[in-house]
Amino acid sequence: MTFVAFIFKNLTQRPIRTALTVLGLSVAVGSMVALMGIAKSFRAAQAASFEERGVDLVTLRGGDAIQLTSEVPEWVVHEVSTWPEVKAIDAALVDMTEMQIREPRNADDVPPSKPVIVQAWLPINFGFGDMDVLEGRKLEAKDEGKYYTMIGNEFAKSVNKKVGDTITILQKKFEVVGVFKTSNFTERGGVLTLLKDYQDLSGRKGVVTGFSLRVNKTTSDPDAEVEAVRQRIMALTNNKGDSLRLTPQRPEQYLDNASHLKITAAMAWMVSAIAMLIGVISMLNTMAMSVLERTQEIGILRAIGWPRRRVVQMVIGEALLLALVAAAFGSIGAVGATHLMSLFPQVNTLIEPGIAVSVLVTGTGFALLIGLLGGAYPAYRASRLLPTEALRHD
Amino acid sequence: MTNPTDFLLYADAVAKRYPDGDVRALNGVTLGVRPGEYVAITGPSGCGKSTLLNVLGALDVPDAGAVYFKGEPLATRRDLDTFRARQIGFVFQSFFLMPTLTARENVQVPMFEGPLTARAERVKKATDLLELVGMGHRASHRPKQLSVGERQRVALARALANDPPLLLADEPTGNLDSANAAKVLDLFAQLQKARGLALIVVTHSDEVAALADRVIRMRDGQIVSDCAPATTTARTVSG
Repeated sequence: MTFVAFIFKNLTQRPIRTALTVLGLSVAVGSMVALMGIAKSFRAAQAASFEERGVDLVTLRGGDAIQLTSEVPEWVVHEVSTWPEVKAIDAALVDMTEMQIREPRNADDVPPSKPVIVQAWLPINFGFGDMDVLEGRKLEAKDEGKYYTMIGNEFAKSVNKKVGDTITILQKKFEVVGVFKTSNFTERGGVLTLLKDYQDLSGRKGVVTGFSLRVNKTTSDPDAEVEAVRQRIMALTNNKGDSLRLTPQRPEQYLDNASHLKITAAMAWMVSAIAMLIGVISMLNTMAMSVLERTQEIGILRAIGWPRRRVVQMVIGEALLLALVAAAFGSIGAVGATHLMSLFPQVNTLIEPGIAVSVLVTGTGFALLIGLLGGAYPAYRASRLLPTEALRHD
Repeated sequence: MTNPTDFLLYADAVAKRYPDGDVRALNGVTLGVRPGEYVAITGPSGCGKSTLLNVLGALDVPDAGAVYFKGEPLATRRDLDTFRARQIGFVFQSFFLMPTLTARENVQVPMFEGPLTARAERVKKATDLLELVGMGHRASHRPKQLSVGERQRVALARALANDPPLLLADEPTGNLDSANAAKVLDLFAQLQKARGLALIVVTHSDEVAALADRVIRMRDGQIVSDCAPATTTARTVSG
């Protein structure tokens, strides 16, 4: 028998309590892993999209950390696109709105709706070149005014739409001309229209929410070239000579500052901290009860020569083993939960199924920390038991 | 003058007082046990037998006096846990076997602090010890699947796990019927002879005491007689 086997067998002494403790910890670890995984997948998806498209700068209005609330004059995009140092540009009016699930049945009927991210693009956007058209065709400049749309493949699946169907956004019917796939899951889970049509429809004429660009890199110092373009954008003024307060950022800087990512991450960490606290208290309770019930047993172990160190190892080992099992079940549960959530039409366009390995490792680390913190005090108490006192215990 | 080095275990004027109730559990007890000697300690309840066994087994520390093992005072040892693990085997009235472990695994528990580091060696040693106490055929059974007599034999095998030269037993037959008690006592006798094991047994049982080389009778924390079991006239020892 190894010492680890001995520890494992101790946990089988109270199988129901062990199972309930593992269940409780699994829920704590699983919620931690799922939330952190979702938060990370948001960022990872955007980072991958920037990387794949070779984006050098992302420009929003100064003070806006999120593209949804930013406003940049559209003429800036057209001007910047003419600069020789700019290789390609990608401007968008991004909006989060509702899509009607079905047509109203009568004048009083308010049909149910589903949240959808709308990307309204210029026909010159380099994003069109990066997408895979799975069905139909791409939007073109000649489509302006026709209220055509392309829909992401995840979105198409979730609402069961195909080329030739229509979708209703802001009470306007858009005809689906294509189904596409990109590396960005918010795009795959959303709809794409032409900028002019959506500006007209949403009453936001002449503005975009931001733009990305690729810099023409011709020297041996591409960073300096990107920085020069960044400075030039920052120096842009309106016709009165006032600064436009634009903040071009490198993609990684944009992701670090993006408030929606920060809020998602902060919420994930906050819920994780609460889950961890509950986990520690639960573990503390379980191990304290376990030590109390085994006072006599621990006394025997001390009597037959086990030093305090080994008693501590035993109790901490039991706590860590419980935590490890909980981490395994919690991680499996979290992966399963995100896959399950991605099947629900209400949220499937916002959630990337699957969880990064780094998040699973972090979750396991958290679980072990719960084991260590929850097991420390009971282990200390167990190690202080005097053999003679313990042997007298009933 | 008595020299502690002449004995395997020697207690010199040992005293122990419990503050709770101001009980003087031991009051200047002096005794020596030689290698291979079988000593029974008897006396009425509360006379200090178990306290003496705890002090001799380094489970408790005396308030006054000293205990020597192979001539070395225990008070100066910093590794009393290791000392207990390797030099002393304990047998208790209530066996105290781990309920989730098999007999073979129970015997291995003290070995984590013993000289055997390889798992296979520990398993073999445990199997051999179970064979020695006649429990080889029950090695894979858990305590609740064993009779009380079998449990005590497993507990005895556990006490021998690290080949200690001294075995301390507190009422080892107290929970056994006469047939099982006889088997355990037979084993004690065999071990004493075959392994040169010194035995100190606390008991209320005249049958157990009758098998000992010496019987020490205690009263009110003192030794009132120390003699061979057949001897009827007691030699007063303590003072």
